[in-house]
Amino acid sequence: MYAIGKLAQYVGVSTDTVRYYEKEGLLAPTGKTEAGYRLYDEDAVRRLRFIRQAQQCGFSLGEIGELLALKRSDEACCKDVRSVAIGKKLQLEHKIRALQLMSHALGELIATCNDEARPLDACPILAALESSVAKHAQGGRDA
Amino acid sequence: MHKAAAMLKVEVFSSPGCGKCVQARDVLREVVESLGTDKVSWREVNILEEMDYAVDLGIMASPSIAIDGKLEFTSLPRASTLRAALLRRLE
Repeated sequence: MYAIGKLAQYVGVSTDTVRYYEKEGLLAPTGKTEAGYRLYDEDAVRRLRFIRQAQQCGFSLGEIGELLALKRSDEACCKDVRSVAIGKKLQLEHKIRALQLMSHALGELIATCNDEARPLDACPILAALESSVAKHAQGGRDA
Repeated sequence: MHKAAAMLKVEVFSSPGCGKCVQARDVLREVVESLGTDKVSWREVNILEEMDYAVDLGIMASPSIAIDGKLEFTSLPRASTLRAALLRRLE
């Protein structure tokens, strides 16, 4: 059995993180010492590692809760988990696409600035951003 | 000379091994075929093999259906709903 500090150290997270996962209902202590300190078993270690790995794959804590529920469910099968993973991959691909567009837009802005010695009020990047904000506001009024 | 009407294109995005999709998908394919294979085409898209295309169409969930390259259903619809959506476009 592990005390909270040992568990956190073993898995490489902080004790605050362990407490937060508990608050979110993702983890629970196996028992308590006579003095009332939380104790965790090997299953908690596996669960904590699962949560960390799933977070690295982009799953939110809510989604990790769903995955853990699927893991426990007698009716669920591998296909259900696969379906959740495919949904997450689609979300990530959309985010990647949006980030690429943002990066491209920034690249264009950077290309308009070819003189780093210009005064700030002649900065083409700031001017382009301001003009974009003005266009947006105009579009909003026209709509 | 009559110009041939453009064929409607129905694309079903799902992943192989999706058990819940197979039966429902077969029913929907029959709907499409009943409208005439000269009027509506049917394509089953493996979302894992064509992820970029799925993202192009804004697909966020599997299974989903696109008609003529536009996301139309974010889950498999009832046969009657798909039929109605196709008939509207064929009119």
